[in-house]
Amino acid sequence: MFSTIYIEEEVLELERVRNLLDRFAQVPQVICGRYGEVFNRKSQNFRLQKMAPALILAKKYGNKVLAAPSGYGYNESKGYYFSHMLNCVYDCRYCFLQGMYSSANYVLFVNYEDFEEAIAEKIGENNGGGVYYSGYDCDSLALEPVSNFCSHFLSVFKRYPDAELEIRTKSTQVRSLLDTEVVPNCVIAMSFTTQEAAGQWEHKVPSIKKRLEALHKLQLAGWKVAIRFEPLILGAEGLAPYEALFEQIFSKLDAQRLHSVSSGLFRMPVDFHKRIVKLYPDEELFARPTQTTQGMIALKSTEENTHLMAIEELLLNYVSSEQYYRCA
Amino acid sequence: MIESVKNPMPVNIVVAHGLEAKALVKMLELERHHVSSKFVEYSNSNKLHLLVSGIGKEAITAGVTYLSEQQASDSGEIRAWLNIGIAGHRDASLGSAWLGNKITDHSAGTNAYPPQLIEGVEVGSVVTVDEPENSYPLDAAYEMEASAFYAEATKYSTAEMVQVFKVISDNLKNPISEIDIRSVPGLIAAQAPQLLILIERMSAIASQHNFNQRLPSYFFEICSKIHLTVNQKLQLRRLCQRYKALGLEKELGCVAGPKASDARKLIQQLTERIDRIREA
Ligand code: SF4
Repeated sequence: MFSTIYIEEEVLELERVRNLLDRFAQVPQVICGRYGEVFNRKSQNFRLQKMAPALILAKKYGNKVLAAPSGYGYNESKGYYFSHMLNCVYDCRYCFLQGMYSSANYVLFVNYEDFEEAIAEKIGENNGGGVYYSGYDCDSLALEPVSNFCSHFLSVFKRYPDAELEIRTKSTQVRSLLDTEVVPNCVIAMSFTTQEAAGQWEHKVPSIKKRLEALHKLQLAGWKVAIRFEPLILGAEGLAPYEALFEQIFSKLDAQRLHSVSSGLFRMPVDFHKRIVKLYPDEELFARPTQTTQGMIALKSTEENTHLMAIEELLLNYVSSEQYYRCA
Repeated sequence: MIESVKNPMPVNIVVAHGLEAKALVKMLELERHHVSSKFVEYSNSNKLHLLVSGIGKEAITAGVTYLSEQQASDSGEIRAWLNIGIAGHRDASLGSAWLGNKITDHSAGTNAYPPQLIEGVEVGSVVTVDEPENSYPLDAAYEMEASAFYAEATKYSTAEMVQVFKVISDNLKNPISEIDIRSVPGLIAAQAPQLLILIERMSAIASQHNFNQRLPSYFFEICSKIHLTVNQKLQLRRLCQRYKALGLEKELGCVAGPKASDARKLIQQLTERIDRIREA
């Protein structure tokens, strides 16, 4: 599962760390000072590291809860994100993480209690409310069997019923959720692209069918679930792949009970795009014409808005406009 | 021993001492270079290269720099770099060996962590010292080149492709002062199974990387015929990559054959054409 486990000396004796090291005793373990000695060094190559990622167990200092970019969320409440982990076990070719870090190793910040404290403080500043996104720099659930992220953070949010936790994922690791009492202020938001896009770009990601089955189980168990259609990458095939995707999703899930549905176009900061192009000069997606607006790169298309509106029209056959929002 | 491998092996092996090279020359079927150089060098027709640098950090840094300068090219290809050598450990048995997953420079007090992509090879720590070490305080292979080798080679290749492999030649029971240096080739030869896995795997990864980064021959044709500024070269490189990624490599010559003479116009034509085709 991991090529190596690096452990910051400072966290070596934490019980959470000792348990993990015992569990993965057969994996070579290397003690380091700070995780930055191993992670994101300048001569590293994300694409090569993806062949055999390592796990780094570290302590997060400094800002643990950050303001979410504007337009990220689904309502007017103030949005924040926190990342107990950097990087992802999946390998989506369109993922911005490839441009953000030069290393594909997974960093797991093990000082959950410090995150908990920072979240509680932020909730306090927001009179008990706010929306808290997990899964911005990682997939929150994909490494659940290793991180036990859910069991820890769900119990935190249980104490603050007016604050909302959104767990953004493409993972089917929902066992721990199904084994837990439903937390009404927690939303499991699953991302989907069309079958064609998933086949072409979402490497190692569970199939759409499997993800839907996981969501279906959660919905039946009473969990709030949401759908994120991101990133929309419009191709020559037109609307047909979206018709098929929506049909597949909404014939399995109870659309009316969905917490929210959103869409977001393919966008990324120019610098990230430049770095990704260097890693994947052979990737068709990054060879397409692009356009840049305010430091963000997008695929060049004169039809983009028309297409997006047509997709939204299709979508609104299944969900209400109150449930739907467009991600900036 | 490596004759089964007919594919290119873009790997540079650097050793400190001629006795460390001896077993490798035989194992990897290398031939001596007779070009005048301050270093003893060997290679084979598969691009595998071996250089004997001399002992210590300064010597190995000079060896790596020299070799990288000799191999510099426009192609963007990388080579894997591997330092193989003997080392001491307090209690590891003579002849045991490992790939360094942590390299400590004792005098500088710094650590480096070569990313580990290769399975099936033993791993462990390495400490680089300025003088031979007799007491081996840490659970690590003590030697005299690894930290400098890693620091220098990562300037010319990606960190994943720079590794050090150390074979234990002395320990507390068999101190360094009593080593029979004639045993060194045998100790290294005994590591052939691990070394062959390592070299073949590093070679395969570097080759795959180079294949992914391969530029259409059109790029080199144009570069040899038209004067391009540094910026124009970068633009042309990216355009060639885009044509290739979109399956349009054949189109390159149609836009403007290698007879084109104006670089600016050529780049403009190539850009317009690819954007038109892809947007259509
Ligand atoms: S699942 Fe999300 S975080 Fe993971 S690789 Fe794909 S896009 Fe990136």
